[in-house]
Amino acid sequence: MPPLMTGAIVNAVALGILYGLLGLSLTIIYGAMRIANLAHGEMVLAGSYVAYVVTTQLGYSPLAAIPVAFTLLFLLAFALFAVAGRRLQTARDPEMASFLFFYGVSLMVGSGLLFLFDADARSVIFQFQPISYRVLGLVIPKARAVAVGVALVLVPALFLFLYRTTPGKALRAAVMNRDALRIVGVDVERLSLVAFSVSAGIAGVTGVLLALVFPAFTPFSGLDYTITGFVVIVLGGLGSPLGALLGGMLFAFSEQLTTLWIGQSAGVLAGFLILVLVVAIRPAGLIGQAEWKS
Amino acid sequence: MNDLAQIASDPALISFRNVYAAYFGDIHVLKNLTLSFRSGEVTSIIGPNGAGKSTVLKTLMGFLKPIAGDIVFDGRSLLGTPSHGMVHVGVGYVPQNSSLFLDLSVEDNLILGCWPIRRDGARVRRAIDRVIGDFPMLAPVRHGLAGEFSGGQRRFLEIARALLLEPKALLFDEPTAMIAPRYASEVYDHIARLARQGIAVILVDQNVRPCIQVSDYVYILELGQKTMEGDANAFRSDERIRAEIGRWLEVSAG
Repeated sequence: MPPLMTGAIVNAVALGILYGLLGLSLTIIYGAMRIANLAHGEMVLAGSYVAYVVTTQLGYSPLAAIPVAFTLLFLLAFALFAVAGRRLQTARDPEMASFLFFYGVSLMVGSGLLFLFDADARSVIFQFQPISYRVLGLVIPKARAVAVGVALVLVPALFLFLYRTTPGKALRAAVMNRDALRIVGVDVERLSLVAFSVSAGIAGVTGVLLALVFPAFTPFSGLDYTITGFVVIVLGGLGSPLGALLGGMLFAFSEQLTTLWIGQSAGVLAGFLILVLVVAIRPAGLIGQAEWKS
Repeated sequence: MNDLAQIASDPALISFRNVYAAYFGDIHVLKNLTLSFRSGEVTSIIGPNGAGKSTVLKTLMGFLKPIAGDIVFDGRSLLGTPSHGMVHVGVGYVPQNSSLFLDLSVEDNLILGCWPIRRDGARVRRAIDRVIGDFPMLAPVRHGLAGEFSGGQRRFLEIARALLLEPKALLFDEPTAMIAPRYASEVYDHIARLARQGIAVILVDQNVRPCIQVSDYVYILELGQKTMEGDANAFRSDERIRAEIGRWLEVSAG
């Protein structure tokens, strides 16, 4: 295999798992609450800025930024939900209400970051030792390897939670039948609160990892992450954790391979073309929930 | 017996006391409804379409808050209890539309049915083994997806799930609608058996004949009001049933 090709594949796998993580946290919120979190990208971005503060400003390892980002975003989401969650879920039109609400939150977080960090691009400056690894003739930056390594721990842990524990099963069941969850005794509002907070925490961690992979970010980068997140979960099938991972991989592979064969600008285009095709042929996504098929 | 003495010695597990309920504004779907449901009996609620039969169960489950009146369970008001608290109180509910998680396995559906005791793994396993013993048809499909089953099998899974925590009362809304006739009689057998075990069974049904056959006490509802009640024996004669249904058809047509 030509080295460029190997490089593109390695990149795609690395990005794919990070996109998968991005989609996973978004799909958990969507599944548990039927809420499209338009502020998801800004939550991820806030995680990237946590990494910036911890590394570039304070001089600690990016690994130290992970628990900080998780805790900060968890608490922020907890407070948001405590204030607005109940109103959103009992609104006459919950989808529209949450759409507008989270659009407002995304503007607020974006402006807050702009206020705190200015409009200039920031990046995580931290020297890992060694700086890079040489594998199969490829130079792999250690920062990227660390990001993928953390994602490789986090994704299986999330899957274990969602597929093997009773609260995880309840979260997946919330996509299928919310009233039935109440009948079996689940406090759906509390479950939503925990799901939303944990998922925001994971978004923050994803932001730290993305900051290690992408060279720079600005207070305006949030929208890109939100869009990528939604593309990924629609590709995979709304509310399906496995679908989010598959969607992330598919999106990353189409992006990387098109960049290699055609060019950078075509890379993003290819991802959206695949999205259009999937929505046209299989509206429920690659792994759609049964109720979406009808 | 005067009214006070009757309340003091009320043998009912669940009572509706002058309950009013509405979905929108002041269009009442339940009007001044007083009903009682006793342990060890099947109490059925029948009536024409739109009588508010299902609403009685939804209101009891807390999905709809009464505007006035009280619902009492074992001497305590249920009005402050949220829907998800009912299973803790001892009220199981098998609604008209499937309450299963169709993309989860039979076993996972049962595991979620043990939500209140989820931290006691041994108890969860015992409860699941017990209901699978009662519904042997579930054993071979334990790891299959609930969504791959027929309507009848799904209904048995729902009943099994509702029994996991040994409820004191069990509500059925049209339990045999949309399932094959050969399963229907089996569902009624189960309902009769549950009452014999001491559970207060509340049955809302369109299939008037089998419903009355399995019942101990019958309420007839029309347009949200109780129009008749009595021992099921009094309703069992065919002419009586035919006369009632004929009248309902006139009510719906008029």
